[in-house]
Amino acid sequence: MTTYRFSTGETIKHVVLILGALVVLLPFYLMVSTSLKAPQEIETNRGGFLGQQEMMVDGDCVRQGNAEEDCRQRPVVYNYTQAFEKAPLLRYLLNGVIVTVSIFIIQVVVALPCAYALAKLRFRGRSLVFGAVIVCLLIPVHAIALPLYIGLAKAGLTNSYAALIIPWTISAFGIFLMRQFFMTVPDDLIDAARMDGMSEFAIVWRVMLPAAVPALLAFAIFSVVAHWNDYFWPRIVITSSQELFTPPLGLREFKGEMADHAYGPMMATATIIVTPLIVAFLLAQRRFIEGITLSGMK
Amino acid sequence: MSDASLKAPSLLPRLPRLARPAVRADTPEASRARTGVLFTLPAIVLMLVILIVPILMAGVLSFTDYSLGRAGFDWVGVQNYEHLLSRSAYRSMFVATLTYVFVVVPASVGLGLGAALLISSLRVGGDFYKTIYFLPVMAALLAMAIVWEFALHPTLGIVNSTLAAGCDIGWLRGLLTGAWLGGDPAASWYGQGCADGFPLWLGDRDYAIWTLCFIGIWQAFGFNMVLYLAGLTGIPRELYHAAEMDGAKSGWERFRLVTWPKLGPTTVFVVTITSIRSFQVFDQVEALTSGGPMKSTYVMMYAIYEKAIQQNLIGIGAAITMVFLGFVLLMTLIQRHLVERRVHYS
Repeated sequence: MTTYRFSTGETIKHVVLILGALVVLLPFYLMVSTSLKAPQEIETNRGGFLGQQEMMVDGDCVRQGNAEEDCRQRPVVYNYTQAFEKAPLLRYLLNGVIVTVSIFIIQVVVALPCAYALAKLRFRGRSLVFGAVIVCLLIPVHAIALPLYIGLAKAGLTNSYAALIIPWTISAFGIFLMRQFFMTVPDDLIDAARMDGMSEFAIVWRVMLPAAVPALLAFAIFSVVAHWNDYFWPRIVITSSQELFTPPLGLREFKGEMADHAYGPMMATATIIVTPLIVAFLLAQRRFIEGITLSGMK
Repeated sequence: MSDASLKAPSLLPRLPRLARPAVRADTPEASRARTGVLFTLPAIVLMLVILIVPILMAGVLSFTDYSLGRAGFDWVGVQNYEHLLSRSAYRSMFVATLTYVFVVVPASVGLGLGAALLISSLRVGGDFYKTIYFLPVMAALLAMAIVWEFALHPTLGIVNSTLAAGCDIGWLRGLLTGAWLGGDPAASWYGQGCADGFPLWLGDRDYAIWTLCFIGIWQAFGFNMVLYLAGLTGIPRELYHAAEMDGAKSGWERFRLVTWPKLGPTTVFVVTITSIRSFQVFDQVEALTSGGPMKSTYVMMYAIYEKAIQQNLIGIGAAITMVFLGFVLLMTLIQRHLVERRVHYS
């Protein structure tokens, strides 16, 4: 057992890091706290973290002709029910899941065979294809957004799931990553599978895919985090159809239409959007950090 | 999948002239070669259609006055690019973008490095700080930007109300206004804030871009920290012992002689990726300032969005896109150059 003695240097380091942590955590604290509080508490900045949770009357509810007693709610209940009732938040979350999952699956379906071919099959033009992948790695999505938008608009595809998904179906990074991983898979494994009469197609999905699970998991985290949080592309291609909004678009809409006193419900919405990834991160930190910093491997 | 189905039709016409076409086509190597082409085909098509053709399209469109919904378009030569150079709105755009990049990159790289050095030198609690500092990387930037806007709200916000509360505490006010150091309290930033109210932050043209930079730094530095932590674990302990033998006694000497050079590759990468991401800043701007006040936060991505998507001026949007691409490629070339030079030296 090590015993820890007091040391000035160590203490100063902790003080600096704690001050930093307070700044980092401030908006998270504020977001959750505001989502729990009553409007007056938010406006006067009182009530501590949790708020007093005194019964409050929902003004809209009374205006709709309900008796006042039926419209009394705890602030936390009010904020979170408003988040779901003022806007189809559940639909937004569902859209977020549909889009991120579809993107990931298509990326894998496209990238895996290509990566396998680049790593393990000899064919004419292989180095050319790999060169193209390397070049495509350099193309930032923001540079192709405008022409893609025009193409989708011409095809009448804006305001559709397809528009949200199509630009991300090809991941040069995914191909590159999986190719690097497949290079480390021994050829013997593949030859044995061929001896057993497996087709190349079966080898990709029944031999290589299971072997690549750790790399794929990291790539999944990379991909899902990026697309769940993405705002730029959905903002461009979803212009009118509210039923196609992804979570960030839904929150932005909420902010745009918000009356002054709706901070509670808005922060409840923000909390709901941010929470899934934060919780997943806290549960599997190592994997998440690995996945998000994958791009460091280039 | 059977061999027959793999025969690419385009390959067949060339074969019959040879004496041994049938034999060759059936060897495992040949069949695998066809499989290779087939497996890469979807990726090749998508790379062309989604990545390469659009880049070329953006280049072509930047020389036109194209807009959606109009039948034709005219070639306007370099007029769009001339506008970028001559009009004051675009001068504001370059100023805002470059300000953002030149503030966020050094600050978030420096803070990332600083946090990594502190955390890796701790005896206990390193993982705790690492987790906290990484949280902003995971959270949707748009959502957190909206929370920051609320925190910085001129009247409701926790930042200004905390600053104002400090004015009523004598010693704190004395400290922050510099009165303790003999300065004139009324002339200091804090003293003026106490007297005339604290800034509007996002609503003030002198503060808006710096406020957005702050949000950008807040979001980005944890990512850099993690990369630096990974880099630090790769430095062999013996190097520090060796440096100490050679007389590098102070921590700064050891950092200068061992840590910093050894972190070179990490730094090159971190600076490149942070720069590219900073050129792409959009979420905070669109949600909080819409490029204002007075175009002080009119960054490139927002300009593309406003001109090309909202106002349907595709040509100018494409020209900005090409300039953006130029910046990104420049970054990448510099990175490649630095990486290769390092390889030659080591």
